[in-house]
Amino acid sequence: MTRKANNSRQTRALLAAFLGGAGAWRHGYDLSKATGLKSGTLYPLLMRLSEQGLLESRWQEAERRGLPPRHVYRLTSSGLALAREQELGAVSAERAGAFA
Amino acid sequence: MNAMPGELRRLAVKLVSHASRVLSGPGSRWADAMRNELDYIEDDSAALRWALGCVLASYRTRLAGRWGFTARTVWRHAAASCALVFFVGFAFLQIAVGQTEPPRPLFTETACDLPNVTPELRPRLRCGTVDVPRNYEHPDAGSFKLAVVIIKSEQQPSSPEPVVYISGGPGNPLTVYAAYQSKVPYAPHRDLILVDQRGTGRSEPSICPDLDRKLLYANFAIATSNSEAALSARRADYAACRDQAVSRGLDLADFGTRVTAQDFDWVRRALGLKRWNIYGESYGTTVAMTLMALYPGTVRSAVLDSIYPPDPVPLWSSIVSEARDAFFAHCAQDEACSTSFPNLAETYRETLTRLDRNPIVVTVPPRLRQPNDRMRITASLFEVGVTQLLYYANGYPILPRMIQALHDGNGDGAGKLVAVLFAAAAVENRGTNAAVECRDRPHLHAKVPEGARVVDRIQLYNVCNDWVELGPRPLVPIGTAIPTLVLGGQFDPVAGPTLSRHIAEMMGGRARFVEFPLIGHNVRHFSPCGARIVAAFIDHPEQEPDTSCTDRVAPIRFLPEPPDAPRDR
Repeated sequence: MTRKANNSRQTRALLAAFLGGAGAWRHGYDLSKATGLKSGTLYPLLMRLSEQGLLESRWQEAERRGLPPRHVYRLTSSGLALAREQELGAVSAERAGAFA
Repeated sequence: MNAMPGELRRLAVKLVSHASRVLSGPGSRWADAMRNELDYIEDDSAALRWALGCVLASYRTRLAGRWGFTARTVWRHAAASCALVFFVGFAFLQIAVGQTEPPRPLFTETACDLPNVTPELRPRLRCGTVDVPRNYEHPDAGSFKLAVVIIKSEQQPSSPEPVVYISGGPGNPLTVYAAYQSKVPYAPHRDLILVDQRGTGRSEPSICPDLDRKLLYANFAIATSNSEAALSARRADYAACRDQAVSRGLDLADFGTRVTAQDFDWVRRALGLKRWNIYGESYGTTVAMTLMALYPGTVRSAVLDSIYPPDPVPLWSSIVSEARDAFFAHCAQDEACSTSFPNLAETYRETLTRLDRNPIVVTVPPRLRQPNDRMRITASLFEVGVTQLLYYANGYPILPRMIQALHDGNGDGAGKLVAVLFAAAAVENRGTNAAVECRDRPHLHAKVPEGARVVDRIQLYNVCNDWVELGPRPLVPIGTAIPTLVLGGQFDPVAGPTLSRHIAEMMGGRARFVEFPLIGHNVRHFSPCGARIVAAFIDHPEQEPDTSCTDRVAPIRFLPEPPDAPRDR
């Protein structure tokens, strides 16, 4: 399978949201609110990152009775490396812009 | 849009269900993820926006070619898109005319087609079916038909709060045994309700009806050889079962104790009952405890016979070992047993060693379908066989004699015994067993633990990861206000007294644990004293049960060695 580039604005926003979460498991609605991405964009991205081994997922038991389990996500070590790389790139670009 | 908030929510649910169908198959995990998230969005408008996005996500994913995309699926997607347009229009139409009521629980009476029903029993039986949603979060996603039998009390009018018996396995049929169940009333003044849990007995669905026998033999092969090859072969057989189930349109996430507990409550409502008394046995206790936790106001009293608790549970072989040691210790203290079989524990260990070196070939009945009706009694099969015999108190008299005979190289009778144990295992629906266990139990998604013995390896360790993702866990009703009686047998190799007492203590002050000496699994079945205590407790659950009969248990009448038995000690 051709590996899709992960440098779109939406992907970067998502990776940044994970970095902001300090390695915690995040659920879909939480990520949607954090990134402003609608579910129609968010889930295809999550699926793609997951297929690429950049994201791991699991089911988390509901905190309140009567609610279903939630699918939660966090970056794998490769995903973390990519997110940090992109963050570094973004910071570098900002600095380059500042000194241009 | 002038729709009411509840209508927006219902439309959102319908849209997400549609997205789930678009993503069915390999994408079902993601479909569940999107669908479950909806329940956490409190604002109805936001929920609807989320749901619309989910539909978009599902089509984008499929059209992007994820998980395979063929020319055939182009047409399917095109058709599905048209269906979506129609669906949304229809959904809005439903909002306009207010026809979005979920299905209602209803009992439909049918003829009673059950074996061994006597003319006296027939008028006391009511048989029927109840349609339950496949998925309670999405009641429009289809239904399963459950078989229900009501055995009316001989004493009429009966009390308005009947007893529902929840059977074990998971995967054991129940309604087919209605005639047997009618013989020893749980509580004389109350009707008894029997339900075949989803995927068992005469209830829908059949997970992999063509392969169930194969799964049994696959497990039997592990018991016999305890080899990696047998484990791999079983994995392939279960994978075939899973594929068959999926190809027949089943979503394997629609199984597990939580949904089974929901089924029971649905049946209660279908029968028009406000409250009932629940009696769970073995795995049935897992369902019963979850039912108590989810619907506490509907349970008048609960009896938990031979608790099979939710994870985390100790390694099974450690519970077996505790039960076996207790049995051997009892033999050492019993005059008849210790005279005929001095140091039974040592004899057992020596037998394991001997069979490991030299398995004994025995003749077995043709129904076991073994080559030339012969099979090998190996050390691992011996270990499994002794474990199985510890379940059944009526097997205790012969257990020391069987160990001694195999120790002495005598396989007479062992073949018949294997056939009996095999037949007992054959009633269970193996596909359903996997469908429930793999949803419920995290430990079965892990690797086979260090130090695992054959009884551990028979569990579905290398099956569940391929089968389905973990579902919501079964529950223990900690601090329950429901009067609860917990029964544990001294030699139970599954739910030993230590474990049962622990779970009773977890549940708190309303739970009372009673240990039954010289009994194994399924206390009430094997102990008349247990049956009396249960009946008295269900009649008056607020009263402290009189358990004094547990002190007057009849001794085990151990069979001595045959006079001509070969001596080799």
